[in-house]
Amino acid sequence: MNDSEAMEKEKISFKPGHRARALFLIFDVLFLLILMALMIIPLLKVFVDSVDPTTYGIRLWPKAWDFGAYKQIIGTVALYRPFLVSVYTTILSTCLGLLLVTLAAYVIMQKEMPGHKFFINMILFTMMFSGGLIPTYLNIKNLGFMNNVILSVILPCCLGAYNIILMKSFFETIPETLYEAASLDGCTPLMTFWKVVLPLSKPALASIGLFIAVGMWNEYMHFILYIQDSRWKNFQVKVRDLILNDGISGTSITLSEEMLKSAVVIVVVLPFLLIYPFLQKYFVKGVTVGAVKG
Amino acid sequence: MAGLKKQKGLQASVQPVRKKKLKQRIYEYRWFYLMFLPVFLTVLIYGYFPMIGILYAFTEYTPFTDPVFIGVENFKVLFSSSMFWRAFKNTLQISTTNLVLSIVCCVGLALLIDEIKSVKFRKVAQTVIYIPHFISWVVVASIFTMFLSPKNGIVNAVIQLFGGEPIYFLANDKWWRPMFYVINRWKETGWGTIIFIAALAGVDQEMHEAAKIDGANRLQRVIFITLPAISGTILTVFILNLAKVLNLFDSVWVLQNSMVLGVSDVIETYVYRMGITSADYGMSTAAGLFKSVVSVLLVTIANKISKKVKGEGVLG
Repeated sequence: MNDSEAMEKEKISFKPGHRARALFLIFDVLFLLILMALMIIPLLKVFVDSVDPTTYGIRLWPKAWDFGAYKQIIGTVALYRPFLVSVYTTILSTCLGLLLVTLAAYVIMQKEMPGHKFFINMILFTMMFSGGLIPTYLNIKNLGFMNNVILSVILPCCLGAYNIILMKSFFETIPETLYEAASLDGCTPLMTFWKVVLPLSKPALASIGLFIAVGMWNEYMHFILYIQDSRWKNFQVKVRDLILNDGISGTSITLSEEMLKSAVVIVVVLPFLLIYPFLQKYFVKGVTVGAVKG
Repeated sequence: MAGLKKQKGLQASVQPVRKKKLKQRIYEYRWFYLMFLPVFLTVLIYGYFPMIGILYAFTEYTPFTDPVFIGVENFKVLFSSSMFWRAFKNTLQISTTNLVLSIVCCVGLALLIDEIKSVKFRKVAQTVIYIPHFISWVVVASIFTMFLSPKNGIVNAVIQLFGGEPIYFLANDKWWRPMFYVINRWKETGWGTIIFIAALAGVDQEMHEAAKIDGANRLQRVIFITLPAISGTILTVFILNLAKVLNLFDSVWVLQNSMVLGVSDVIETYVYRMGITSADYGMSTAAGLFKSVVSVLLVTIANKISKKVKGEGVLG
């Protein structure tokens, strides 16, 4: 890579012949700054609306601070329970999803294994064709999985064909000789998987694990379709209910509704915003590896 | 003939050895089969069981009756329904407009980011513009519903400040689609640049140097060197997304309301209303099946085109 070349800062010069370039660069930087502001301002605005009890409308910094809405969320079962459901399902689906995805990827990369082609095609086919919304819904319903968070929401979400293919291409970068060495040392495939493959694929696990986690944190449709028990609705569903129905059942709100609506939006995006700057490279990695592989 | 016989003879002599080997090989891989079992069951139950349910498309099926076979009756009713064709037309219009806007914006933004040579500024800019991608559609819709609200949303506050009348953007036939496109761009443009930025990093610098010596200016070089160099990536992205145009669901579902069904109802939301709200399982499965078949056709055609243009299919 020509990193050192790229690192060199381009000097802006207004000498004749360089003027157009300099103007373009200034425009470019300004444009990107405005774009970044456009991405941040909506979130900032929601935050301001969640803590400023004075007026609602045009403002980008609070005139007064009032964390009443957040206290309300912490103190109301109907509001904090969905948050806990979100945390629970996210952690569980990340662990379970990573286990299944790595197992699948590890097995389908065994080229000598009888039936490995069949297993690959079995997984790939689900990528291209699915039963569709209603047959999938009826399947869960007829199997009696309704209202069971693990069987109707977590398991169907955590086995993405795309993730398996991605994980497989990560595994294939591990040198062949390591597997041979492990088997010579008397490791069973399970032990090799646990002691050699997984420790060596930590970046891949981080990358795919994060995608599964964000996917489950943001999951909405599965909860709407399969979970009727209000105790097991997640925070996304709660946010939507609050925004649409202008109120919460079973609780009395003392503060302005707009503040509460804004506060739940902040609460639902905050966990991601807190970890994102530190883990951004893992998020991007998953995409670029997938892109190179086609 | 002789050659063929010889081959057959060879095969016959080889086969028993292979069979024995196969058994041995299966035994050798016994641990792997055990490891694959949970995956196999999950894929079977959640991926393949629903495919059997496609047969409901040929039945009359409601929550109160068992499915009764009625042939292609569902499709006949469906194809004569103006609501269904409206949803189909809306899906195509919204999806393709969104796809074209997406590619134009993403490529444009990627080119602008690529011109920035300061690594630090690039990093910060990229980090920030990726953020909206990770916010769920439910939350994005919530944010914009609040902003665009005619009661006390900020957008209408600004309009009123300048003496205008408040507009209920998301419940207005004329405004819904433009708003949908804008919100989509806000959420996905940044993230969509990743693949193009990666492609731009691979553009041959020698070509640029050569063109520079020949007196080509920057704009000319972008048009005649950079864009052709990443055209393969653009085509790939276009085709992969073309295959998904009919799957439009979440984004529309969270932004639509009964006031704007005429311009916003797409196949998947139509299927949802028919199947879950009205519980007409047979008819909604039929609509879903029609969508799947058209989707598969689109993928196949797109892959064929890609083979012609690029010499290789996107799907390999």
